[in-house]
Amino acid sequence: MKTAVITGATSGIGFATAKAFASLGWRVIGIGRDERSCERARQELQVLISGAQTEYFAADLIHQSEVVKAANKVSAYLCEACEGKLEVLVNNAGGVRSVYTTTAEGYEQQFALNLLAGVLFTHKLLDCLKAANGRVLFTGSNSHKHIRPRFDDIMLERRYHCLTAYKHTKLLGMLFAQAFNRRFEKEHIRAYVVDPGLVNTKIGMKQTGGLVRFVWELRRRGGCTPDLPAQTYVQLASAAPAPEGFYYYRCLERPYSRFAKDEQAAARVFSLCERYCGIRF
Amino acid sequence: MVLITGASGGLGRAMAMECARRGYTLFLTDRDENGLRRIERGIALAHGAKVHTFACDLTNCGKVQALFQEIERVQEPIDMLLNIAGVDFEGGFLERDSARLMTIVRLNIEATLLVTHAALERRARDAAFTVVNVCSLASVCPMPLKATYAASKRFLLDFSIALGQELKHENVNVLALCPGGMPTTMEALSGIEAQGVWGRITSNSLGTIAKNTIDRALKGKRVYVPGLVNRALSALSRMVPPVLAARLVYHRWTQAQKKWLNT
Repeated sequence: MKTAVITGATSGIGFATAKAFASLGWRVIGIGRDERSCERARQELQVLISGAQTEYFAADLIHQSEVVKAANKVSAYLCEACEGKLEVLVNNAGGVRSVYTTTAEGYEQQFALNLLAGVLFTHKLLDCLKAANGRVLFTGSNSHKHIRPRFDDIMLERRYHCLTAYKHTKLLGMLFAQAFNRRFEKEHIRAYVVDPGLVNTKIGMKQTGGLVRFVWELRRRGGCTPDLPAQTYVQLASAAPAPEGFYYYRCLERPYSRFAKDEQAAARVFSLCERYCGIRF
Repeated sequence: MVLITGASGGLGRAMAMECARRGYTLFLTDRDENGLRRIERGIALAHGAKVHTFACDLTNCGKVQALFQEIERVQEPIDMLLNIAGVDFEGGFLERDSARLMTIVRLNIEATLLVTHAALERRARDAAFTVVNVCSLASVCPMPLKATYAASKRFLLDFSIALGQELKHENVNVLALCPGGMPTTMEALSGIEAQGVWGRITSNSLGTIAKNTIDRALKGKRVYVPGLVNRALSALSRMVPPVLAARLVYHRWTQAQKKWLNT
């Protein structure tokens, strides 16, 4: 039985992806922000898919200490139940903030959640991924094309705009994944980025204020059901041999920004992420 | 080295990051020890800056002494002091416990004075020294339903301007920062949201405030009101008689507070 770990797995794209993997007989380990939503998601999966092998751990991934704690729990579980192998890690947890807010570390919150959490989680589960020649999937966004990396103000502290910050974290995530692939080419683990498209989820309504929430409430109505992009995650995870591309939308490769291809920028983002998480890959 | 009080809070963290970005060594203090450890780590990782921390409750003057003993131990001269630590308990004067109200006075006024006095006493006379006191937009006129807080901030505003004049020729600059609403916590953010459009146009971004405040303090500016709307409001309030201003504020605040305190 193959195993998939999915962050942000209690709602939206994460939950739909968990459902898709479970229905194909995968073991699913989901991470959600709190116990209650984790329990609800776990029960819902049991009802929807009989015999589903699911496990949920609660962690607020915006806090690095919680990322580490959750990763340790997942690691322990994998060693016990899956021979220490992890076939797929889906770094999906993400959010939007309408104003510049920081974590207790002083990091901007979108930066901490959308980018650093995935990096740190990947680092902590690297051994399990290596053991299974695993794949790491990142939830991206087509909006990454509307921005270039701002190394002089990486968290947009000095001139913050909520959507710019979101796009920036998605672009940085892609650059990280590029450098990750270059780094681990020979070790048969590979990262992909999934463009889910416009999806009808509650991302724009969690911890956001008036205008952002209002605009999202309208915009989400034009979005597809999260079950649709979930198929892309499953396809990238299951395809044998490993797909050759990098950026996928609706199961097909899609062109992406030249700023996300820049090797130097990718290396820079990679070491920057290592630095902010206090890790070395 | 810069000494920052209230360094675990939203504004304190933003100031600490900004100073670290500029290459300062930091001495951070706050009541929240865990918060201090986390911002210390974040800054060390992000900027590689040297950070010292000391957790203490500034409303206890014994602790203020201990703080400066610790600073002395570190053996680095302070050349900038950011008095960020402050507290507010919104609501009517009689709706609040008097002990809690006194905390506003103890922390916002007493602690700020104690720390400022101690830091200035110990400064190197041949070097420039910068002080930033966080006042508030609330310091421009009497604020019913925030009476004690607003008055404490007005105290700081007057004190900062006066002290700045006293020490002008001793190479010390004192800046009074008067921000509007700041989204420092989820609570603060919902308080801003409760004021609708008004809340949003009078609120300031933490990152921008931190950068601009340090810039201006170092340039010798004495008062900084971030945001065009806030500057206009502040100018307007000075033209309105205080009793009338209080009446207008009361009217606006009763609407917003009812909405916010009931959510």
